[in-house]
Amino acid sequence: MNAPAAAVAPHAASSPSGGELAVDGVHHHYIAALRRTDVLDDVSFVIPPGKVACVVGPSGCGKSTLLGLAAGLITPAAGTVRWDGEPVRAGANRHLGMAFQQPGLFPWMTVRQNVAIGLSTRGHPRAEARRIADEFLDTVGLADFKDAYPSHLSGGMAQRVGIARALALKPRLLLLDEPFAAVDAFTRLKLQQEFKQLLRLQRPTVLFVTHDVPEAIALGDMIVVMTQRPARVQRIIPVQREARDRATPAYARLLAEALECLGVTSDMDEEEDAQ
Amino acid sequence: MTHPRAHARLIKDRLLLPLAGVLLVLAAWEATVVAYQLPAIVLPSPWAVLRALGELVRTSAFWHDVGVSLYEFAVGYAFGTVLGIACGLVMGESRAFRQAATPVVESLRFVVPFAWIPLTILWFGTSVVGKIVLVAYAVFFVMIVSTARAIAQVDPTLTRVARMLGMTPARRAIAVHLRAAAPTIASAARAAAAIGWIAVVAAEYVGASAGLGLMITNAATSLATPVVIAGMVVIGLVGAGVSALIGILARKRLEAP
Repeated sequence: MNAPAAAVAPHAASSPSGGELAVDGVHHHYIAALRRTDVLDDVSFVIPPGKVACVVGPSGCGKSTLLGLAAGLITPAAGTVRWDGEPVRAGANRHLGMAFQQPGLFPWMTVRQNVAIGLSTRGHPRAEARRIADEFLDTVGLADFKDAYPSHLSGGMAQRVGIARALALKPRLLLLDEPFAAVDAFTRLKLQQEFKQLLRLQRPTVLFVTHDVPEAIALGDMIVVMTQRPARVQRIIPVQREARDRATPAYARLLAEALECLGVTSDMDEEEDAQ
Repeated sequence: MTHPRAHARLIKDRLLLPLAGVLLVLAAWEATVVAYQLPAIVLPSPWAVLRALGELVRTSAFWHDVGVSLYEFAVGYAFGTVLGIACGLVMGESRAFRQAATPVVESLRFVVPFAWIPLTILWFGTSVVGKIVLVAYAVFFVMIVSTARAIAQVDPTLTRVARMLGMTPARRAIAVHLRAAAPTIASAARAAAAIGWIAVVAAEYVGASAGLGLMITNAATSLATPVVIAGMVVIGLVGAGVSALIGILARKRLEAP
C-alpha cells in the first residue's frame, strides 16, 4: 500500500506514444421520452500527442459524453472527432485504455486476472498477459495483492488496479472519468502523484475528466473549461510547469483563473467589495 | 482451532435450538391428539406416523414412488432452469426482446402451475411427461424473471469496462453480465426448486400413475391417515434436501471470494 508508484527517474520521460485527438465543432444531444436535450454545443479542442488535457465543468455539462465520443462509443450528431487525423469509429478501438470513477473490477477474478483479462481479450497469449499484468501490478505497488480478490482491497488499491488494467493495454489514448473522485482526499493526492509518474513511462495522449480544479492543474498540460449544458468550451488554459507547484503565485493565479471561469470567485474579493 | 465457547455456541445454534423447534411442534401435536382424544383416522399421534414411515421405507413401492417424483422434478427442473436463464439473459440484453416478451411473461407467470393441471392431464394423461412439463413451466417463469432482473442490475461500470477492453456483445453478455449476475440467479434457482417440487407433488395428487402424490391419495382413500402424514413428511424432507443441495452446489461454484 505504501509502495510508491514507480522507481522512475524523474527525467526518464520517453517520447510520446500517443497520437493527436482533435474534437472539431461537435454538437450532441440525447433524446429521451421524446424530449431533446442538447448536451454539447460546438465543442472544439485539440490534444497534441502525449499531452494531458483535463476537462473541468459543472455537473451534467456533458463531460462523460465527451469521453464516449473519444472512445467511439457515441457518434456525434454534428462535427467530427479525429484520432491521428482519422475519424473515430465505433467498435473495438485498440489504441484505447480507460479508467472510471468506480474501479469496475470483476469481483470473481483475482487482481492479476482483472489486469490480464484486458490483454487476453485484445489477443495477447495467456502467459504473456499474466506476465505483463504482474509487471504493471509491481509498478503500481500491488505486488503482494496479485492473488487477492477485489473485495479484499481498499478503495485506493482497487482504483490502482483499475488504472493498471488500463495502462497494461499500453494505450495510445487514455480516457479517464474522474478516476480519483471516489477515494479519500489523502489517497487521492497520492494516486495523482503515482499516476503522474506512470505517465512518464508511456506518454499516451490523455483526456481526463474531473471536478477537481487543483487535480486538473496537478495533472494537466492544458485545462479545458466547459460551460453549463448545452456545454461549450469556455476557455482553454495552458498549464505552465511552475504553476504545478502549490507554493508558487503562478499556481494561485491559475487556480483563481480556472475557478473564475467556473463562476467561483474568492471570498477575499467580496470582502473588499463590502468595505 | 475453534474457541471452546464459540464451539458451544455453534452446537447450540445449529443443533439444540433447531431440535427444540421440532420437538415443540411434535409436543403440540401429541398434546392435541391426547386432549381431544382424536381417533387415528382423523389425526394419528406422531408415534403412529413414525411407525408408518418405518414400514414405508422398507417397501420397494415407496422408493419407486420417491424415485418417480424425483425424476419428474429433476428433468423438469433442468429444462426450466436452462431455458429460463437463457431467455432471461436475452431479455436482459436485448431491449426489443424485453419489450416483446414482457407482457407475455408478466401475465403468464401469474397463471400458477396448478391452473395448468387439467390441461396437462388432457394433453399428456397421467404420464411423467405432464409432470415434467409442469415443473419446467413453474421453474421457467421464476428463472426468466429473476435472471432478466439480475442482468439489469449488473454494475454498469462493468459493462463499460468490458466495452473498453473490446469484448464482443456476446462475450459481454456471457462472460461479464451472466457471471456477475450468477449469485443472484443461483439463489433464484434455489427458490425455483421449492416451487418446482411443490408443482410435482400437486400434479401427482390430481392425476398420476406413480409418485409420492399418488401414494398419499391412495393412502387417503383407504383411510390410512398415518401413511398420508408420513408421505407429507417425506415431501417436506425431500424438498428441503433438494433445496439445500442446490444451495450448496451454487455456493461452492459461485460464492464471492
